[in-house]
Amino acid sequence: MAQFDNLTESVLRSFARHTSRRSIFGMLGGLLAGAAALPLLPVARAGEGDTNSASDPNSGQSAPQGGSNPQDPGDPTKCDYWRYCAVDGSLCACYGGSVNSCPPGTEMSPITWIGTCHNPADQRHYIISYNDCCGGVASGRCSCQNNQGDRPPVRPQNSNEVTWCFDTKSQVYTCTTANILGATNDHK
Amino acid sequence: MTAGILSAKAAAICACVAAAHAAAADFPKPLPTDIIPKVETLPAKYPTTWTFLNYASDRIELRNVGSDSREVKAQLQAHDSATLLVPEKRPELYVADTVWSRGTRGTRTDFITVYDTHTLNPIGEIVLPGAKRALIAAVEGLMAFTDDQRMAVVFNFTPASSVTVVDLVKRQVVGEVEIPGCSLVYPSGTRGFSTLCSSGTMLSVRLDANGVVAGRGESKAFNPLDTDPLFTASIVVGGVRYFPSLHGRVQPVDMRGDEVKILPDWPLVSAADQAGNWRPSGWQVVAGDEQKLLYVLMQPNAHEGTHKNPATEVWVYNTATRTRVKRLRLVRPGSSISLTHGAEPLMLVQAGERLDVYEPSGNLVRSLDLPDFRSRMQIEPLR
Repeated sequence: MAQFDNLTESVLRSFARHTSRRSIFGMLGGLLAGAAALPLLPVARAGEGDTNSASDPNSGQSAPQGGSNPQDPGDPTKCDYWRYCAVDGSLCACYGGSVNSCPPGTEMSPITWIGTCHNPADQRHYIISYNDCCGGVASGRCSCQNNQGDRPPVRPQNSNEVTWCFDTKSQVYTCTTANILGATNDHK
Repeated sequence: MTAGILSAKAAAICACVAAAHAAAADFPKPLPTDIIPKVETLPAKYPTTWTFLNYASDRIELRNVGSDSREVKAQLQAHDSATLLVPEKRPELYVADTVWSRGTRGTRTDFITVYDTHTLNPIGEIVLPGAKRALIAAVEGLMAFTDDQRMAVVFNFTPASSVTVVDLVKRQVVGEVEIPGCSLVYPSGTRGFSTLCSSGTMLSVRLDANGVVAGRGESKAFNPLDTDPLFTASIVVGGVRYFPSLHGRVQPVDMRGDEVKILPDWPLVSAADQAGNWRPSGWQVVAGDEQKLLYVLMQPNAHEGTHKNPATEVWVYNTATRTRVKRLRLVRPGSSISLTHGAEPLMLVQAGERLDVYEPSGNLVRSLDLPDFRSRMQIEPLR
């Protein structure tokens, strides 16, 4: 229970930093329901999958954009990056944004859905908030679909099919970020 | 050498002139002049080999899947999560859509366009208030008929859930019903709708003739969202709506009365097939035919997170005996399935940028291209 309290506090603090009072009721509803479903949320497949290098200029792939932090390994322009274990959409790192920022000219939705991904470097599970960026141009670039923990939209907070552009000026989907809300304290 | 080249050129020119004279002799009259302008129209009643293909946020096409040539009959504009309803009562089509006044920004407008089925001209419009229509790709349940197709209900998600009630005959919005904690709409009763709730129940709402709530009823919990949730894709066979589950059950629900009846569920995967770990998979995962057969897209070696992967087989069930009667291997993995409604139905499977057309026996008869297909497709054959 203490772990749950810590997690809830962490999640709420993070949301409070990024949200307006106007949207707080809608988000609280989503968070409470999301917290109830946390034990079901997905575990990462990080470390698996495409190791195809973009060194070949004819490959059509983006150049690797891995960061320098060994605790956050992988390339955020690739679908197999560990934080993307439950993403369904286009990766903002391919549109001028990054794993945790939106491209210029768009707006990040404060209301979203959350998943749980496993970081292969520190072996922790992290609560990931998949905030969509809204109001820009969606071209289908860097499309990525990992449905671990995704559920039909009967529980929308567990559904990556919903266009998560709420409390934004435009609800036109552009791309998706993957933001760490906190570790789950179930360090293995 | 130069003389030889000139001689060859002269011979070629003579041959061309001679050929032109011969062709003109073969066709003594020139082609008739074309009538300008000329616009095609569609038959009053569309053949049952025609189907609408909803490309989810891109366009809606009308195709003749019974033909190898000239199969594209028409297209309708469609934007974010556009949803189509085709009535049998009136020569009209309804498309719920969402646009912004400046492309990706500006004022949002949610609206239903009313099209004439003969000309495909827009003949009416119903603006949906509140900029709240749910934007969830082309998922089933965003809009449904009720009241013998006189009214429609539109699912809203902001993320508060509600339903806008529309009078399609008067072409006006008549009300809004809040459905907290519930999602999507399915026709139920004589005038009403049902919606799937996050508590695992189904909420049913009865409406009066004016579209005002006349009563509500909530079923027992039957949708185990934590362990084996139902897909929201469904099909009505013999008056009963069937929802497959992610792990391989099917849940029948009789929604013909004012109170829905949750019927006993049954397994899609027999004990003998357990080893292959087969599960339903795809987008529009289930279809049905007039013989009360259920067609389910299935994939082997399924596990957490594979429920939207393309399926490799179609398993066909007799809903009366609850047994599998056929097992069809697809020529390529498919994500959406439907069957046409004619006397000789065709099985349609969207597989990447192809629409594969099969006989119900599993024999592939043709494969149509789906240019610029992006992610999801809802196949909607005509009755």
